[in-house]
Amino acid sequence: MSIKNTFTIWFGKLLVKVMKLLGKGAGNAPGLILWTLNKNCLKAFKVECPIIAVTGTNGKTSVTNYLSHIFASNKGKIITNTQGNNLDTGICSLLLANCDMKGRVKADYLVLETDESHVPVIYSQLKLETLVLLNFFRDQLDRNGEVETLILKVKKFLETFEGNVVLNADDPNVARLGKANPNNKNIFYFSVERYSGATDEPYEVGEGKFCPFCGTELVYDYYQYSHVGRFHCPKCHFGEDKPFTLIKNVDLSAPSFEADGETFKTAHNSIYYMYNLAAVYTASKLYDFDKATLHDTFEHFEVNNGRLETFNITGSELMVNLAKNPVGANMTLRVMNEQAGEKELLFVLNDNLADGHDVSWIWDINFSIFRDVTRVVTSGTRAYDIAIRIKCSGYDPDKIVVRPDLDDAMDELFKNTGRKFAIANYTAVQPTRAAIKRCKERREKNG
Amino acid sequence: MAELKLLHMYPNLLDLYGDSGNVEILKYRCALRGIDLKVSRHIIGDRDTDFEGMDIIYLGGGADLEQQMLAEDLLSCADGIKAAYEKGSFLLMICGGYQLLGQYYLDSNGEKIKGLGLFDYYTVASTDKRKRCIGNIVIEADIGGEPYKVIGFENHGGQTKAVKTPFGRVLAGNGNEFSSSTEGYMEKNVVATYLHGPLLSKNPKLSDHIISYCMTRQTGEEFTPSAVNDKLEEECREVLLERLLGEK
Repeated sequence: MSIKNTFTIWFGKLLVKVMKLLGKGAGNAPGLILWTLNKNCLKAFKVECPIIAVTGTNGKTSVTNYLSHIFASNKGKIITNTQGNNLDTGICSLLLANCDMKGRVKADYLVLETDESHVPVIYSQLKLETLVLLNFFRDQLDRNGEVETLILKVKKFLETFEGNVVLNADDPNVARLGKANPNNKNIFYFSVERYSGATDEPYEVGEGKFCPFCGTELVYDYYQYSHVGRFHCPKCHFGEDKPFTLIKNVDLSAPSFEADGETFKTAHNSIYYMYNLAAVYTASKLYDFDKATLHDTFEHFEVNNGRLETFNITGSELMVNLAKNPVGANMTLRVMNEQAGEKELLFVLNDNLADGHDVSWIWDINFSIFRDVTRVVTSGTRAYDIAIRIKCSGYDPDKIVVRPDLDDAMDELFKNTGRKFAIANYTAVQPTRAAIKRCKERREKNG
Repeated sequence: MAELKLLHMYPNLLDLYGDSGNVEILKYRCALRGIDLKVSRHIIGDRDTDFEGMDIIYLGGGADLEQQMLAEDLLSCADGIKAAYEKGSFLLMICGGYQLLGQYYLDSNGEKIKGLGLFDYYTVASTDKRKRCIGNIVIEADIGGEPYKVIGFENHGGQTKAVKTPFGRVLAGNGNEFSSSTEGYMEKNVVATYLHGPLLSKNPKLSDHIISYCMTRQTGEEFTPSAVNDKLEEECREVLLERLLGEK
């Protein structure tokens, strides 16, 4: 190990110690400081086990949690960032906390959720074995730049990458990356066959309507959701690759799907969740995990943490789902609509830095599909913006209650008992969960 | 039932920042007044679009790539759009739409896109792609003879120069150029602006101004839109103006 790398690790370890002595949880700070001092600090770590990275706009945290759960099943040691600190500095902090004084990271697998824009910088320094690419949607545009810029960043990394790439064949923005390095034979596409809610025409806004190779408008046999579906380019035949994993017979009522001739029961039933599982299934298959583990995981494992998470409060059931972009919100509305009977919706919208200060994306959410929604409560720093958006879709403004404070919003939401759904964007999701728990305590105390 | 016609140009390409919301809002606010807003689309390759028959022509914003894709088609529509403008159709232009109505747009790669040349202004994008005007913005505009604070969000690399009659005076945010005092371009039947959010969502008076203009033009009688329930909009404005301008 070079002097510089030795010093980097020692200094980093010292930082962790000092923070602990100061009574502060180390958190992201050591990585941030180290990164600021030395942009190549990740090179100081010695990781000898396989690294699996998960990236894409939506579903990173869920897929990372599933893979960690599966990879830990044979008593292996997993190092993972299941809480979603997925930038260069977060991953640096994670490794610092888990290495010895020589920078050695001992584990069986590293499963790392990684922000799309940080894939090149991180994995030019750490040896990546498998990259799982889920999807590319519009997300927080004023922060990340356009989707295309992000795709090109990942593409540039993949042009010289020779490891495994697990990727969504049904998202043209992702499928195109399978061709970034023509010499890489380790390309593993997953695809999901048409499900009952698929449509012939696009239902929600999407990206990538044109072939990235020849500019021709893509032709879709069907759309599963947003721009994800069976597509091909009529001119250059982009989109006709045979998938390594083909998910069949998605049954939302069971719920279940079929892969390699076996039926897997699942804990949830939305189509985007099935795509997440398709990615998990494919990556697990590359590492030969046994089917029994997969059956058990798909049927019972819950990520919770604001991802399709259910709470029961005095006779009401509330399902919370994170949505940080139109596609995520549209999916939650679909899940809500598929639930028969009356329900109420809470939408918590913040415009903090990590959300992107611009909230105009809410106008790309399709609220006109509302079915049996008897009341809407809105909250967060942009509670009024989302209220206006829902109103202008034709929903009765008298049924919309604005409560910017989350505790007020919870009291309002649980005035009536019944079925409830909550959508919260990025910085809103943890405060929302905390407010739900406080509300539950208040109610249980008051009997 | 009264009817107005809106032409939404390139909705499949220019829909970057929820801009189609403006069309949804106009349709909604028209319906509240018993007016049916008929929306038609113009997409690349359409050759028989009736520009002059439109009450409102709407062009949203897109990324550089999309703007390059449609520039040629837009130029082929120049005569139609110009004739409609001269006959008094209302032009509502956001971001890229705003830029492309001027003389030209020099994009961040140094590529020059010819504009429709309807107005004298021109736009030069900053060559540093990271240097953009991004953030909440409040301007004061003259809407139907009264000052009105227009609230929106701007996100543009382009710096628009030589604007003779701006849309408004910047109270918070950047405007036509970095830290400029003016924003957008305005005439009696034109609002061209960088504000999205979308523009009309928090500025109901501006939506109603456009509707009134179109109805008055069509019927020859002064149209006054009936009052509607704007409680949410008013409260939203109050909260945001306090936050962005420190107003009570």
